[in-house]
Amino acid sequence: MTIPRSDGRLACGRDVQGILDQVAEGRAAERDAHQSGCLHCWAALAEYDRLWSPVRELAAERVEAPASVLEVALEKIRQVVEHADYGLLGSAEGLTRISVRVVVAIARRSAQEVPGVRVALSRYRPGPGAEGGTAAASPRAAAGVTGGTTTVEVTLAADYGTDLVDLGDRVRRAVAARVRELTGMEPASVSVVVDDVLGER
Amino acid sequence: MAVQHDDLDAAADDWLIGKAQAGDVDAYEVLVRRHRNRIYRIALRMLANPHDAEDVAQDVVIQLWTALAGFTGEGAFTTWLYRIVVNRCLNLVRRRPPVRPILDSDHPPTVGADDEVVARQRSEATLRAIGSMQPDLRAVFVLQQIEGLSYQEVATILDVPEATVRGRLYRARRHLLDTLRSWS
Repeated sequence: MTIPRSDGRLACGRDVQGILDQVAEGRAAERDAHQSGCLHCWAALAEYDRLWSPVRELAAERVEAPASVLEVALEKIRQVVEHADYGLLGSAEGLTRISVRVVVAIARRSAQEVPGVRVALSRYRPGPGAEGGTAAASPRAAAGVTGGTTTVEVTLAADYGTDLVDLGDRVRRAVAARVRELTGMEPASVSVVVDDVLGER
Repeated sequence: MAVQHDDLDAAADDWLIGKAQAGDVDAYEVLVRRHRNRIYRIALRMLANPHDAEDVAQDVVIQLWTALAGFTGEGAFTTWLYRIVVNRCLNLVRRRPPVRPILDSDHPPTVGADDEVVARQRSEATLRAIGSMQPDLRAVFVLQQIEGLSYQEVATILDVPEATVRGRLYRARRHLLDTLRSWS
C-alpha cells in the first residue's frame, strides 16, 4: 500500500490530491513524464484506481424509478386540480385538507412579526392548475397549494432605513418556517415584494 | 468520471412546461415521466435509502406542479430540477438524526457469494459510504462525480462559488477513499 507522507505528498513529492483527482476523473492511465518513470506514482495510481472501482460501477448503474412514485404523485395532483382551493395532506388515518386562505393568513401574520416590516399584505400566486379556477375566482388569495406543497407571495411596506435585501431573506425564512410548522405543508417558494418604505410612525 | 446520459430534449421540455403552466396535467405527466428516473436517482444517491428516495421523488413531483408557475425559463429546466431535488434531500437529511458511522458489517463481501450478489452488495455499501458524508460534501459528490455535471453547473445548482465546489469535492473524495480503503 502506498502511504502518503503527513504533508499529503508521496515519497517522490507528488501531491496526493492531484493523484486522487486524476483517478476520480478517469485519467489514471494518462501518466505525465514524471509519473511514467516514478514507481511511487505508479503504485499510487494503481492502488487508488483499484479502490475507486466501486464508485465507477455505482455511477454507471442505470437507476429506474419505481412506477408507484409517479402514479401516487400524479393521482394527488389530479385530485387537487379538482379541489384547487385546498392543500391535501395524507396520513395513515386519513386526509387533511387545508384551505389556501389558512396559508395566506399564516404568511401575512408571520411576515408582520418580522422586525423592519411595517405592514404586510398578501397577493395571489396561483399554481399551474389554478388557471381559471382559484386565481380568477379568488383574486385575494395569497398562495397556491398543490398536495402538500404551497407557494406564497407576501407584499410589504418596510421601515425606512432597513436593509431590504436582508429583510427579504428574514421574511422568507420566517414565513417558510411558520407555514411548515403550522400546516405541515412544504413551501416551495416564498416571494417577497417590498412595495414601499415608510418613515417614522 | 461517469455521466448519466438521459434523453435530454430541452425544446420538448420547454413545450411541455408551457402546456403544464397553463394547467395541462397530461403535459405535466409526460414531462415528469421524462425526468422521473433522474429525480429518483439523485434522491437515492443523496439519501442512500430507497424508501426515503421514493418519498422525496413523490414530493418533488407534487412540488414541481406548483413551483412550475415560477419557472421563468431563464436557466435550463434540468438545472432547476436538480436544485429542487437536492434541496429537498438536504432538508430531509438536516432534519433527521446523523447517519450512523459505517460499520464492519457494512463492508461488501469479497468471497463466498456469486458475482451478481457481490456486485449488488458492493453497490449498496458504496451508497451507504456516500450517505455517511456530510450533506454539503455529499451533494457536490453526487452531482459532480456521479451525475457528471460540470463544476460550474454544480456551483449554480448549489448557489456556491466554483472554488467551494472543488474544495468540497476533494474532501468528499478523500472521505470516500478512506472508507473504500478500509474494505481492502
